[in-house]
Parts: sequence; structure tokens; C-alpha cells
Amino acid sequence: MNGAWKIILLGVVMAILGLFALGLENDPRNIPSPLVNRPASDFTAPALNGGQPVTLSALRGKWVLVNFWGSWCVSCVAEHPYLMELAQKTKSRPDFVMIGVDFRDTPAAARNFLARHGNPGYPHAMDPEQKIAIDWGVYGAPESYLVDPGGTIRMKHTGPLFPGWFEARALPLMEGGKTP
Amino acid sequence: MWIEIAHFATLLALFLSLLLFGAPLAGMRWNNMAWVRVGRQAAFWACALLTLASAGLIISFMTHDFSVKYVAEHASLKLPTFYLATAMWGGHEGSLLLWAWFLSLFVAIAAWRHWDTHPVSMPWVLSILGALQVGFLLLVVFLSSPFVRLLDPPLDGRDLNPLLQDPGMVFHPPFLYMGYVGFAIPYAFAMAALITSQGDGEWILATRRWTLFSWIMLTIGIVFGAYWAYYELGWGGYWAWDPVENASFMPWLTGVAFLHSVMVQERRRMFKTWNLFLIITTFALSLLGTFLVRSGVLSSVHAFATDPGRGVYILMFMTVLLLFSFGLLTTKSDQLQGATQLESPWSREFSFLVNNLFLVAGACTVLLGTLYPLAVETLSSAKVSVGAPYYNKVFIPIMLGMLFLMGVGPCIPWRAASKRHLRREFLVPAIVGIAGLPAAWMLGITHPFGLAALALVLFVSTTHLRDVTGNVRLRMARDSLSAPAALWRMVGRNQRRYGGMLVHFGILIMVAGFVGSGLFQEERNLFLSPGDSLRLGDWNLTLESMGQTARRNWQAEEAVIRAERPGETVTLKPQKRVYNEHSQPTTEAAIHTTWREDLYVVLGDPVKDGVWAFRIYRNPLIAWIWFGSGIITLGVSLAMLQGRRPQRLST
Repeated sequence: MNGAWKIILLGVVMAILGLFALGLENDPRNIPSPLVNRPASDFTAPALNGGQPVTLSALRGKWVLVNFWGSWCVSCVAEHPYLMELAQKTKSRPDFVMIGVDFRDTPAAARNFLARHGNPGYPHAMDPEQKIAIDWGVYGAPESYLVDPGGTIRMKHTGPLFPGWFEARALPLMEGGKTP
Repeated sequence: MWIEIAHFATLLALFLSLLLFGAPLAGMRWNNMAWVRVGRQAAFWACALLTLASAGLIISFMTHDFSVKYVAEHASLKLPTFYLATAMWGGHEGSLLLWAWFLSLFVAIAAWRHWDTHPVSMPWVLSILGALQVGFLLLVVFLSSPFVRLLDPPLDGRDLNPLLQDPGMVFHPPFLYMGYVGFAIPYAFAMAALITSQGDGEWILATRRWTLFSWIMLTIGIVFGAYWAYYELGWGGYWAWDPVENASFMPWLTGVAFLHSVMVQERRRMFKTWNLFLIITTFALSLLGTFLVRSGVLSSVHAFATDPGRGVYILMFMTVLLLFSFGLLTTKSDQLQGATQLESPWSREFSFLVNNLFLVAGACTVLLGTLYPLAVETLSSAKVSVGAPYYNKVFIPIMLGMLFLMGVGPCIPWRAASKRHLRREFLVPAIVGIAGLPAAWMLGITHPFGLAALALVLFVSTTHLRDVTGNVRLRMARDSLSAPAALWRMVGRNQRRYGGMLVHFGILIMVAGFVGSGLFQEERNLFLSPGDSLRLGDWNLTLESMGQTARRNWQAEEAVIRAERPGETVTLKPQKRVYNEHSQPTTEAAIHTTWREDLYVVLGDPVKDGVWAFRIYRNPLIAWIWFGSGIITLGVSLAMLQGRRPQRLST
């Protein structure tokens, strides 16, 4: 083997290993949504806890966190404490509201979930046939979308929201209007 | 109880593997064979202990010990016994234990069989294999232990993933692992030869059967996976160029290259560095498969639990191994000068050289397509996917070239062929191949790749058949034998050659299947309610009724479809199953297989009252793919019968 081939061989091996090292940081579930920076598809759906139907466009003028979940979803259990905390913390903010979309689920199972793991208090839209979820391009649960006061989706988060997510990801957007 | 025994056995096996790694090195350092023998004994005992550990895990499954986390996550009380035993490799942790067990088994066999024949390289072989075994067992013990107990055991387990409750999935992983792990033995012998500067190729003779064994296991594993994807996933296809599929296909390709180029080293003392490069690459690609599957670095249909910690460990392991192997190859390769030079492009060694270039180029295109999405995502955070269009454009032409060489290689002589010889061997096959083109056109094949493939299949089968019939006739005349007796004696004298030719026939049959199913698949998506019927090919299909059915751990919606064509009536019952403990339904396609085509019916979702969605495919010649792989297995088995060939150099 002559010198050039040696360098090429070792170079290729190192490049592939380097790529893997960098690639380990990637989360394969994190697929950029084409809906980001597009107007959110509006919906009106019956509320889980009865009362008024939940309508997204009625919340114009505020930032809306739309959280897709289901009682069948294991990661939603892990996420739930943070949603409870976030709802409590942001209750007094005039510019931020949360709604849940309970999809592919039955009302009884969903109510049971909230009774067991705690009710964060914000309204939940029922989407048993996944109509809203399909419109929004949801492919797993939990998934969360941040909609700006003008009704545009500004961010999508796949998987459970992590503690501190609001400060780290949502606030910079809400205050600066910049993508983090 | 059993799980603690298994855990303890694995820890002991790890300790013995350290000994297997270190003792032979010590023996060589202080020139004391006793230490090397200690290493050998350690290999045997590590194998025994890992057998015990694997048995312990299986017993924990059979006894429904849900206090074991791994059992609770991959089994349930209702899981049938067969799947209970095989659930051992239904998840990441158990798979790795199985992997380590295979490795220890192969190491023990190698330590037993090659001990007397390879006194010089054996200490290095043991030590290298010991290092690999330590690497895997560290992963099993510390990063993905199947032996973890739950403090609060559930009454019932979470059940095995329904998609894995299938015979195809039961056999797909172990065969694949045997293939991956098997390449460790030729790899270790190659490294030992490099270290001890015995590049003349003794290691190739010693490991020929290991290489054939690993390659055929890999082949069977891949085909089982493809077959499973075909009849269980219900999308009408069998191969999706998914990263994890590619990961198993790349070592397969370089393994084929290796199997051929070692013949050149054996006969002509050439390609020494190249062969070392190929076996290192093949084993490295096997490890790459593990890394891709287990680290979650790529998104894939094989969505296993991803764990960056394991990914970091496997990456480190792979880095050490690759830098050690290729570093050694680059520093030591200068000692390996070929004894002879290529004399003519019209020679078997040259056709093998081109064959190797095609195969390695093929492996590179697959590697590129597999890594490109990762590179784009890592460097720009965009998401791309590379799918069938890329591979169809790039990979198929390369494989058509391979097909051509397959016809040339076995029938062209070593060193240099005369013009007369070339004309005698290849004129008739070439005419047959070209004559097949208009016939193919008339059959409806208009795609250039399809036409080329068919012409090449004719060309290759003619060269092979002429070779066989010519030699049989020769023997019949010379030894006055009947045709079968002459064939029997001829094959018996040279199992390697005729085993190889049989493998080529298997490949040709598979190619016919690829062309038929790839170019002529028909698909219908439609809504049916009971009483509706449709036509597909020469089949008349009628949905007779919809109903429900249930087994021990699942319930299903089931359609009853009557399929008729002149002289044949069959009933197809596609199902949509829901397994207990799982909300996701699985499709069970109903398949009617004939040698001409498969009728393939998938039940979709209910649309409205009494109306259901169906997908119906007609897949021509698809059974040929499975049949061809059977022929390949037979051919390799035949080739493995023959031990080392007596030294015969073509000089």
C-alpha cells in the first residue's frame, strides 16, 4: 500500500468515526415541522371537562401552548408534572395560555388519567378521531406547539417538555420574537 | 434465583475473558506456553458460563419471573411458550447477551479446532478475540444488563412487541448475529497473521469455512428479515433500504468480495493487503451495524430503545478497533508484496479484481446513502432521507456489472486466456443473452435495467450450464459413466467450485424474482363491502364476509375473500390484529403463493358501516427470491464440505 492510499484509508475511517461522534447528539425523533412559521390550523372541539367547546382562534392575542397527549401515552405521564408546574406558574400571565388536545382517546380514560396524575386546570379539546392531530402533523405523543398571538405556529417540541423548557425555549421567542 | 446465577456467570465470564485477553500476551512476553494454555481454558469456561447465563435468562422467561425488568418488559402470562423462550432476544439487552454468547461459542470452537494447527498465531488470535469478548461483556454487564431486578414486580409483563411474535422475527436476529460475530474469527486470524508477519495466506485457508459460515448465516438472516418484512408489515415489499437493513447488507457485500479475492491469494499469491483490508472492513461493518442499531444515531424502522450512553461506548469500542486494525494494516502492509503480477486482463484474477471493485463500490454507495442523512442532519440540522430512487439509480447498475462478471469469472482461466478460449467459452452465451432481448421485450419488459438483467441472467446461466454439461460429458466419455454418476463424481471432486456455481444459480433465481416483483408489481387501493368484487391480473376477487376471530393473546377483524381464476379457487383471510396490552393494531396480510406470483391482501381500516379499506397486490415471481436463497444455502453448504484444498499454485 503506498502512502497516498494509507492517508485516504485512515482519513475516511476517521471522518466516519467523527461523523458518528457528532451524530450521537442528534435526536432522530426531532423532525423539523414544515408547519413552523405557518398559520396554525384552527379547530373547535368539545371540551373534555364539559362546558364550552375549545376554539383555538378564540385565544388570538395570546401565546398558546398546544399540548397533544393521550391517556395511552407513557411519556405523557413523565411530562405531566412539568405541565402541572407550568400551568401553576403561568396562571397569572396575561399573554400566555395552555390547552391540551387529547387525541385517539376516550373521554373516560382521559378523565381517569387526569384524576390519577393531577389536573393542571387548563382546557382540553377532545380529538378521538385524530382530526386535529392529523391537521397539525402530529406523529407521536406528547408533542407541543407554541402558537404566537397572531395565530402562527412558532415552535414544535417533540417528546416530553423538560423542566425549564418555558424559560429556555418559549420565553426567548415570546420576548424577542427570535428563534432560539 | 436463575437471574442471579445468570448475572454471576456473566461476571465470571467477563473475568475469564480478561484472562483470555491477557494470558496469551503474558505467555508470549515471557515465552511461557502455560499462560497461553490458560487463555485457551479461559475461552472454554467463558463459553460454558455464558451458555449458563443465556439459559438462566431463558428460564426466567419460561417461569414468568416478572421481577426481572427485562422479562417484565418483553413477556406476559399470555405469551405462547415458543415466543416466551425466544423473547430472550426480543430486546436490546438480551440481544447483546445472545451476541456475546455466540462470540464465546465461536471463540471456544476456534480455540479447540485451530490449537494444534496454528501454534504461532494462536496466542494472538486468542488475545484479540478475548479483547472483543471483553468489549461486548462490559456492555452487557455495565450498560445494558438484562439481569436487573424490579423492586416492585408487576403481576403481568408488558408483553412482547406484537410485530416480533412471528416465526420470521424469531429467526432473523440470531442468524444475523451469527453472521456478524462469525466474521470475528477470520478477522482475528488476519490480524494475527499481520502481527506475526505471516502474510502468505495460511490464515485464509484456516478460516475459509468460518468465512463461508458467517456469510451464509448473514445471508439467511437478511432473507429472513426481508421475508418477515414482506408478510408481516403489510406494505407489499420486502426491502426498504432502511439504514439498519443497509447495515446488514454492507458486510454481506464486502464478504462476497472477500470470498472471491481470497481465491486469488490462494492460487496466485496476490491481493494480500487487499484481503486483509476486506476482512477488517467486513468485520468493522458488522460492528457498525451494531452501532447503528443500538445507538439510535439514525432514524430507522428498527426503532429500538435509544440510549446515548451505549452509543458512546460502542463508538469508543469501534474507534479503538478500527484505529488498531487499520493502523496495523497501514504500518505492516509494506512487508506484503505480491509474489506475482497480473499478466493479462483476460484472466480470472483480473475478473475477480473487477468483481471486487464493483462489490466495494456497491458497498460504498450503500454506505454513502446510509450516512448522508446523518451528515446532513449533523452539519445543517435539516432532515433528508435517502430512499429507493437513489439506490435504484446507483446500486442496480453496479449489480448488473456484477452479474456480468459472475458469468465470466468461473469460466475464464487463471493467468491469461487465449482469444480462442474466450470465443469458445463466451460466444454462445453472449448470443443467447442478446437473443433473449427481443423475447424479453415481447414478455413486456421495457425497462432498460430489466432487459439488461434478463440478458445477463441468460448469459450467466448459459456459461454455467455449458461448463457443467461439458465437464459431465468429458467424464462420461473418459470414464464411461452414466450422466448422473459423472455429475456426482465431478461435484464430489470439487465441492468448492460446484458449490460456488450453485450459489450463482441461486443468485440468478433471486434476480429473476427482483425483476419480476420490482417491475411488475400491481397494486390496488380500494374500499370494499361484503359482496363486492374486483379483477386483478387473471384473478377475480370477492369479499365474502367480515368477521371476528381471537386467539390466546390477540383478537382480530378478519375478512374472508374468495379469489378465483380458471382452474383454481382459494380463500384468503387477511386480519387486523390487536394484541392484548398493545393498542397498536398489526396487519396480517393474507398471501397466496404460486411459483408465478403472490396474491397479497391487506385489510385496512373501516371507512364507514360495513365498508373497509383494502390494499391488494399482485407480486410476480416473488417466491423466486426465497427459493433462490434456499439454493444459495445449499451451494454454500456444499462448498463448506470441502476442507482445505491441497496446495496448488497456478504459477
